[in-house]
Amino acid sequence: MIAQPVIAIEGVTVRFGGTEALRDVTLHVNAGEFCALVGPSGSGKSTLMKLVNRLVVPSAGAVRVRGRDVGQEAAPVLRRSIGYAMQSVGLFPHRTVADNIGTVPRLLGWDAARIARRVEELLALLRLDPGMATRLPRALSGGQAQRVGIARALAADPDILLMDEPFGAVDPITRRELRAEMRRIHAETGKTILLVTHDPEEALELATHVVVLRDGRIEADGAPAELVAPDAAPFVRDLLGGGQPGLRWLSLLPARGALDPRPAPAGAPVLARDASLADALSRLAESGDEAVAMEGEAGSVRAEGILGARR
Amino acid sequence: MIRLRRGLPALLLAVALAVLALPGVASWLMGGTQGPYPVARLWALALDHAALSLAGVLPAALIGLALGVVVTRPGGRGLRGAADAAAAVAQAVPPVVVVALAVPAFGFGWAPTVLALMLYGIMPVLRATVGALEAVPPETRLAAEAVGLSPGQVLREVELALAWPLVLDGLRVALVLAVATAAVGALAGAATLGTPIVIGLQNQNAVLVLQGAAATASLAFLAEALLLMAVPARE
Repeated sequence: MIAQPVIAIEGVTVRFGGTEALRDVTLHVNAGEFCALVGPSGSGKSTLMKLVNRLVVPSAGAVRVRGRDVGQEAAPVLRRSIGYAMQSVGLFPHRTVADNIGTVPRLLGWDAARIARRVEELLALLRLDPGMATRLPRALSGGQAQRVGIARALAADPDILLMDEPFGAVDPITRRELRAEMRRIHAETGKTILLVTHDPEEALELATHVVVLRDGRIEADGAPAELVAPDAAPFVRDLLGGGQPGLRWLSLLPARGALDPRPAPAGAPVLARDASLADALSRLAESGDEAVAMEGEAGSVRAEGILGARR
Repeated sequence: MIRLRRGLPALLLAVALAVLALPGVASWLMGGTQGPYPVARLWALALDHAALSLAGVLPAALIGLALGVVVTRPGGRGLRGAADAAAAVAQAVPPVVVVALAVPAFGFGWAPTVLALMLYGIMPVLRATVGALEAVPPETRLAAEAVGLSPGQVLREVELALAWPLVLDGLRVALVLAVATAAVGALAGAATLGTPIVIGLQNQNAVLVLQGAAATASLAFLAEALLLMAVPARE
C-alpha cells in the first residue's frame, strides 16, 4: 500500500471576489514532515495553510486531511483536531493562561482534572513558569504570549499543527529561542507541522520540506538543500539564498558527507558530528588549516572536500 | 470599592432630589400656601413608575441586543443600514407624540407608554451592542474560529463576553432615559411620578409639579447609580 499524505491539496484554486489567491495548487505533506510555506506577501501562503482547517474554502479542487475531504465533517470538529497558532497570537484576553491553553480540551469534553494536568504539562514543555497559569494574557510579554499560543495549539495533542508566522511579532533573541523550541517539539512529538513564514532563513532552518509560493502558484517544493543548490530555479535561489546562496546551501549539507579518510593534522579544530559544511568552512577560515577533525571519526573534513559538494 | 465610588455622585443627587420631593420641603420652598402630595402616595407612584420603566426598557433591550447581534453576523450585515435608520427614526419621534398617537389604538393605561419607552430605548442598546461587538479584535475572533469554537460559541464565549461591559453601558443609558421619560405616561392615564405634575399643572399647584419632577429625576439618578455600582468598571 502506498503511504497516503496526511495533507493532500489537489488542484486547488481560491478566488476572493475577482482576485485569485491560489491557482491550481497541488501539495502533499507526509506524516511527520515539517513543511514551511515561504513566499513574498500576497503569494498565497497563508491562504494555502488555511485550506487545511477550512478557514478558507476552495473555489475549485479538493483538500483532504488524513485521507478525508475536509468538507465532510463540520468545520469546528475538524478544527479541534488540528492545532493552530498565529502571529497575533489571538489569546482570549478575558481568560487566564490556563483557560486559554485548555480551550480545545474543554471543547472536546475532557474533565477538569485531565485539563489541569495537560495545562501543567504544556507549561513545562514550553518552559513557562507554572505560576503563570492564573494570569491574564495582558500580563505576559510578547515571547510568553507566543509560547502560550503554541501551548494552546498543542493542547489536545493534535497530529497536525498549523502555524501562521508564529514568531513574527517577537524580538530576534526570543525568535531564535522559539525556533529551537519548535525544532525540539517536532523532534520529540513527530507531529506534522505546516509553517507559514516570510523568513527564508527560518524556513530552511526548521523545515524538512520547503514550499515556495509566488503569485498564488507553487514555484518550488522540495528538501531545503535542493532548493538552494546551484541548479535550483533562479527565483527560488534568490528568495531563499539571502545573497549568499552558496553558503546557505553548504549550511544545509552535513559535514559528515565530506569525510576524507586522511586524518586531520594534530591540533586541528574538532567539529561536532551534526556540523554542516558551512560550519566546517567557518572553522577552516578561522584556523587557517587545510583540514578539521570530527568528533568520533578517524578521518577529516578538508577544503577540497567542502568545495567538492558540487561534484 | 471602585464600583461603589463610581455610583456615588449619582446616588447623592438621587438622595438630594428625593429630599426636595418631600411634602414639607417642597411646600416650604414654594411659599407654603398650596397643599403638597402625601409621601405614601408618592412611594406608590414611584413603584408604578419603576415598573412601567422596566416594562418599556426590557423589550427595548432584547430587541436592541438581538438586532445588534444580527447585523454584525456575516449574513446580517446587509441589514445594518436599515436597522440603524429604523432605530434612529424610533428615537427621533418624541415619546410624548408616540403616547398621543398610541392612545387611540391601545386606549388609556400602560400600553401607549410601554410602546413609547420601547421605541425610545432601542437605539442606545443597538448602538452600544454593535459598537461593542465591532470592537472585539478580529484576531481574537479568528483564533476562536480556528481552534474550533462553533459560531454560537464564538458569539457567547468570546464576542459577548468581551462586549458586555459596553453593552451594559448602553442598557444603563436606555434605562435612565426610560425612567426619566416614563413621566409622560401620566398623560395616557398610567400612574407614574408624572401624575402629580399633571395634577399640579391642571390646578396651578407648583408644589405638586416640583414634587413630581424632583421625584422623577431622583428615580432616574437612582437607576443610574445602581447600574454603575452593579457593573464592573472597564479598564
